[in-house]
Amino acid sequence: MTIRVLLADDHPLTRAGLSAYLQKETGIELVGEAEDGIAAWDLVSKLRPDVALLDIRMPGADGVTVARQIKEAGLPVAVIMLTSYDAQQYVLASLRAGAKGFVLKTVTPDNLARAIQTVARGGLYLDPEVASAVGDRDFTPEPLSVREREVLILAAKGLSSKEVASDLFISERTVQTHLASIYDKLGARNKTEALLLALKYGVVTLEELLE
Amino acid sequence: MRRHLLVVLTLSILLPMFAVLLVAGFGLVHHQWAVEFVARSYVEDLAENVASRISRDAGPYFPTDMHRFRIFSWGPSLPGWVAVLAADGKVLMASPGVRNLAALWRPELPFGKAVEVRDKQGERYTIAVYPVDEGSRYVVAAVAWNQLLGPLVRIGHLWPILIVLMTLASLLAIWALWRWLIVPLRNMDTEISALRLGRDLPRADDPQAVLEVGRIRHALHRLATAAIERNDLRNRYVTDIVRVQEDEKRRIARELHDGPLQDITAMIQQVRLYRMPGAEEERGRHLNLVEETAQSAVRELRAMCDELSPPWLELGVAAALTGLADRLSRSFGVRVVVEADETVETTPERVLAIFRILQEAVSNAVRHGNATEITAEIGRENGGIRFTIRDNGSGFTPDLDFEHLRVQGHRGLANMMERMTLLDGTMTIESDAGRGTLLVFCFPDRPPEEPGIPCTEGIRKEGGPRAGDGPGER
Repeated sequence: MTIRVLLADDHPLTRAGLSAYLQKETGIELVGEAEDGIAAWDLVSKLRPDVALLDIRMPGADGVTVARQIKEAGLPVAVIMLTSYDAQQYVLASLRAGAKGFVLKTVTPDNLARAIQTVARGGLYLDPEVASAVGDRDFTPEPLSVREREVLILAAKGLSSKEVASDLFISERTVQTHLASIYDKLGARNKTEALLLALKYGVVTLEELLE
Repeated sequence: MRRHLLVVLTLSILLPMFAVLLVAGFGLVHHQWAVEFVARSYVEDLAENVASRISRDAGPYFPTDMHRFRIFSWGPSLPGWVAVLAADGKVLMASPGVRNLAALWRPELPFGKAVEVRDKQGERYTIAVYPVDEGSRYVVAAVAWNQLLGPLVRIGHLWPILIVLMTLASLLAIWALWRWLIVPLRNMDTEISALRLGRDLPRADDPQAVLEVGRIRHALHRLATAAIERNDLRNRYVTDIVRVQEDEKRRIARELHDGPLQDITAMIQQVRLYRMPGAEEERGRHLNLVEETAQSAVRELRAMCDELSPPWLELGVAAALTGLADRLSRSFGVRVVVEADETVETTPERVLAIFRILQEAVSNAVRHGNATEITAEIGRENGGIRFTIRDNGSGFTPDLDFEHLRVQGHRGLANMMERMTLLDGTMTIESDAGRGTLLVFCFPDRPPEEPGIPCTEGIRKEGGPRAGDGPGER
């Protein structure tokens, strides 16, 4: 059974490249192409593809907005976000908006196919380059304590330190101490890096972060 | 060591006062001596006189009532009292009012010498006792100072009153100085030493200060206000510059993202597609696409480089402006004409300023005024440079205050004025709705060591905020 895919990207050259990749894959059928967010949403609701590849930066509506519309409409469409440059700050926003995958446009054809197949099966796919942009692949971090994991997962949901503190019935200061310890253990400089590294090292799973 | 104002002022009040008191005191002491001397000699004369008369008249005879009458009824009545006493103290004869004399009498009074005594009321008297006939009788004479020298004595009483009055007057003067001069000055001193110029404002008025100190305070207040305004202006200017730089960085990032980054991504994709198995013809197409895309990326990067650091700048004003005009014509799709006097030469920073001004002006004219034709002229005038930009756009009503322009977000015009201010130049705007806009810039072609004052009468009234008039002039 072929996977029906929609591609939305406002840059004609990169769109052409990506569509050429997809046409070479067996088991993947490119059912439509859109050059802005509004057209993407129209095509998604009309064609009901299995997978939608959405560029993050598009005129009209950006990819994250379209992903959120799809999620809110409850359409059975798995969304993969595309981005030109390593944009860590978009990863979590995309995942929260319901995206199941995140790939750079420099993705290899094989990895693009793998990403599509993974999300079509209901899995999650994160471009190895996004994760490898931070940290060292062979690094094994010191395990996080139960409390630190809780703090990290709540922070991943976009809660402020204050909100995390009131959720866990601890002081804001303690939350910050936990965060500092988490950054230290993972070698991260900020919250986004900490989350990406935690995912990459398997300290937490994507499901835990998104539940 | 510096003297304190209060000490100086107090001394300048107290010293003359002490001098006056000293002189007055000296006079009064001498006056007192004179009064004593007069009273003493009077009483001594009186007693001696009576004593000699008694010896002469009575002779060996005991004085009779007739004698008494004669002695005490001569001539006009004189101040004072006289009495003749027997050795046992019995009054042999006396002038009227002798009871007063009895009150003053003391056995220890010396003979032949006048002394001062006081009665119970504190009145002062001089009294003298003379022995007659080898001590068998005494003549006692006395006079009240008040009776003899009334007004002169009273002057002596003025002395303490004078001291009290002068002390009060000088205390009052010192108090007035303290309240109206010293305290306001000290307050001002405290405020000035704590004043951070450009941030704090001293009080505008001190109702207790004397007029002159009040004026100094007003002047200080004005200075501090001006400093704050200047500071605000500079802060806003810096904020503005930072914002412009941030905007510029974002714009560059966006252009890099939308242009070269997409091209190179596409090139990577095409190279990968080329490597994949497929028909020779199709693979060749991918390779061609790589080349085309690479060329497009190079073009975009070159354009960005030109914009970031214009390569024509080193070729002089005329070449820089012509090069810029060509590029602006293409990118805005309007006609930009440059008429440049080839002999104009100036410093590189001035060329850059002119360059940026033209950039801003064309962008403004097209975006806000929908102009289709812009003419820039540059030439020499009065030893300086005159640069004009005219457009056929919709025009506008120029705001006179470039600070307002900045606040309203018309950063283009504000930046032009700022650039002119930095070059000691002037900028005038002539515009009206529907008439297009004429911008005139006049500035010396060299830094001000050799000042040229171009366009002295070229400064036009009509909407003419000269850059130097702005509150931002330094």
